[in-house]
Amino acid sequence: MTNLEEPRGRAVLARLRGVRKTYGDTTVLDLPELDIYAGQVLGVVGENGAGKSTLMGTLSGSVHRDAAGEIQIGGHALASGAPQESQRLGVALVSQEFPLVSQLSVAENLLLGRKPRTSKRRVLTDRRAMTAESEELLTDIGLPAGTVNVRQKVKTVPVPTRQLIEIAKAWGRRPRLLILDEPTSSLGPVEADLVLDLARRHAADGGAVLFIGHRLDEVRDVSDRIIVLRNGRLVADFTREEATEARLINAMVGIEVLSAEPAPYRGGGEVLSVSGLTADGLGPVDLRVHAGEIVGVAGLMGSGRSRLVHTIAGAQPSTGGRMAMNGKGYHPHSPEDGTKNGITLIPEDRKLQSLITFRPISENVTMGLLRQLSGHGLIGPGNVRENGQRITAPVHVVMRSVDQPIGALSGGNQQRAIFGRAFAAGPKLLLLDEPTRGVDVGAKAEIYELIEQAAGTGMAVLCVSSELEELLRLCHRIVVLRGGQISAEFDRADATKEKVMTAAASGVTGGPAGAIAASGTASDDGGNR
Amino acid sequence: MSTQATAPSPTAGGASADGEPSLARRVLRTLVAAPEAGVITACVAVFIIFTLWSHGHTFASAANLQGIGLDLAQVGVLAVGEALVILTGGVDLSVGALAGLAAIIVAWLNVNAQLPAAVAILLTLIGTTLVGLWHGFTVTKLKVPPFVITLVTYTTAIGLALAITTGTPITNVSPLFNNVSVAHFVGSQMLTAPFLIFVIVVVVLWFFLERTYVGRQIYASGGNAEAARLAGIPVARRVTTVYMISGLLAGVVGVLVVGRMNVADPSVASTGWELQAIAAAVIGGVSMFGGEGRMIGIAAGALLLEFITNGLASVNFNVYSRNVIIGLVLGLAVLADRLRARYFGRGRG
Repeated sequence: MTNLEEPRGRAVLARLRGVRKTYGDTTVLDLPELDIYAGQVLGVVGENGAGKSTLMGTLSGSVHRDAAGEIQIGGHALASGAPQESQRLGVALVSQEFPLVSQLSVAENLLLGRKPRTSKRRVLTDRRAMTAESEELLTDIGLPAGTVNVRQKVKTVPVPTRQLIEIAKAWGRRPRLLILDEPTSSLGPVEADLVLDLARRHAADGGAVLFIGHRLDEVRDVSDRIIVLRNGRLVADFTREEATEARLINAMVGIEVLSAEPAPYRGGGEVLSVSGLTADGLGPVDLRVHAGEIVGVAGLMGSGRSRLVHTIAGAQPSTGGRMAMNGKGYHPHSPEDGTKNGITLIPEDRKLQSLITFRPISENVTMGLLRQLSGHGLIGPGNVRENGQRITAPVHVVMRSVDQPIGALSGGNQQRAIFGRAFAAGPKLLLLDEPTRGVDVGAKAEIYELIEQAAGTGMAVLCVSSELEELLRLCHRIVVLRGGQISAEFDRADATKEKVMTAAASGVTGGPAGAIAASGTASDDGGNR
Repeated sequence: MSTQATAPSPTAGGASADGEPSLARRVLRTLVAAPEAGVITACVAVFIIFTLWSHGHTFASAANLQGIGLDLAQVGVLAVGEALVILTGGVDLSVGALAGLAAIIVAWLNVNAQLPAAVAILLTLIGTTLVGLWHGFTVTKLKVPPFVITLVTYTTAIGLALAITTGTPITNVSPLFNNVSVAHFVGSQMLTAPFLIFVIVVVVLWFFLERTYVGRQIYASGGNAEAARLAGIPVARRVTTVYMISGLLAGVVGVLVVGRMNVADPSVASTGWELQAIAAAVIGGVSMFGGEGRMIGIAAGALLLEFITNGLASVNFNVYSRNVIIGLVLGLAVLADRLRARYFGRGRG
């Protein structure tokens, strides 16, 4: 490929001139000029609220941009807020939330809103053609034949596979401009590679890809050119060579982010001890976590990462083995038992598992503490508010007041509030499941700091993450799960990305096929919903 | 915006400009933050309208107000229990039928089983509370949709009321029932015992919801059950509690009905009170999705609904069109609820 040469000679697929979007006085997107070239993967990075989703929305027609300015796709003008027209011009969007109809089959979803191309019937559905075309689509995006049964209902399919189906659905419309909005955020490394491959292939075939990503290494890996948005403006436009991680981060946050080393673990008493623990899709697992120690849990999607912390927290029943907290036997039947024994879980999905988004911040951060905050079961008039302020202050939640609905805060701020709530419970063991999912780079660093502070005060921390860099940076020790069991354990000193990856994936034969089949049999999500 | 600093704005997108908001905007904001204010205002307005409209201002007469008080002790008390269930994201379709069945059972225990009235009342209340326990158990442990399990009870209760009485009302109940239902205090005809029971129920449950940790946990369980559970709240117990309260209140209403009519009529079970109770809760600002709504709004919602029902009768409004008006009011309340949700949703990135 010669796609790293002077891009000015290439065909422009999408031409944006003076594209703006304002809400009242607030400008969320202001792009005087942007060209998207055919044959390129264009990476888009920026913090939350930088305008990435708005940019994507103007192209896919889901956002009504301001009247001035124009967008041309393949030479045809695209009116503001016209999703159907945008689709007709060859734009396909894969969004973060999967708009799949879970009660319908995989095939029906893949061909949602259109007929199979080979169908000869005019009115009736042609099931055979549907099945054939769906299977072809899935193979097309790189899923080996037979990994997914297209007659299966989508709700029985694990989450990572659903994301792949969503991508195949967009692919099936044969787009010229494929927009991928954080397509790998719910995928394990193997499935993620598959998506990156697809993006590269599409560009090589002369299409254009807009790749919006959180993981910088991934964006750098896949993109031929990377633009950085900040506060709705294009602040940097790099070629692949220019786009070092440091430069990207600087452009994104406008300040230097230090990559600090965690304070070394000085040794502490045993807080959690787990032996022979089994649960649905997990175990047997032996594990010890000590006071002041941050232990990371790595593993592919479906390896039992979430299940492990959920079982320890009491959110999922264990089927065997023994657990002890501070040397005393611990047999949880519910998360309530977990909290009573000094365990606090920060789950993966803020919206679904942590917050009541429409209720005030104060109520959200006191949710699990109401009993402790009450006197003789009673809660005084200003109690929740005052405690809300007390709890959010040390974790620096940026807000107007604690009466704001917590859903109005940015992802990073919500997560800080959740950490405040967790700390306020004064746990001995803090369980974290993807603690920085969906928060931007600046906020990430602050959350790492919070975790390190917690460990510094003698809390034991068990942290699940699908981002290896995160574990390598944060943890004193990393255990690797594979098929529900611990396959390896590394001290900070000798943990490397390659070693952890190998321990997580080896034995899963056949590359992508094996990994996806494995996640199909034991979805991390399935056990807890 | 063109002179924007380089520091990243933490909440780009949803921030509104500072400055003095207009009066209309402030009023709107208050209404959004406290929907109860709107319902209370509507109560006052409707009261004045019907008083002026009714011939000789009979709407505001002592006799009519007494009737309103007695009605509140029926639909209003049911609405409070119903609203608690709706707060947890559920619904209790059985309250009206259960109240009707309770009336039959308490009369049957008193007349046919010859039990003293007090014992009959106690047994009946225990019985309806146990029905609530059953609802809570099936909803939280067996994961039966609340709609379904309470519909089962609704049908069964109506059937049982007819089966026990073979359709004939039970008469000759103890005078105690009637004494309770017509007793009034401090010489005022309006302050009847049933109305006071409504007030007490409202105040006690207001305190329970707002000022006890169990009450706050009920809100959390309704707002996001999974988040509440993972935060260590015993969600199943809290949800079961509200079904039990709803059952207990249905029993209370059944007993009051016997006293008011001095007879236990099986047709009471199928008068459709459950729908009025749901309507009162929704009008009072309780979200059908759970987690939102306050006791003051619920009480005002019940009062507003009662004012309208009674008021339309006292101005001799066309009998066949009365439900249209109630339907319109309910439609407005639902619309307001959705607008509120949108207002809150706007701030999100």
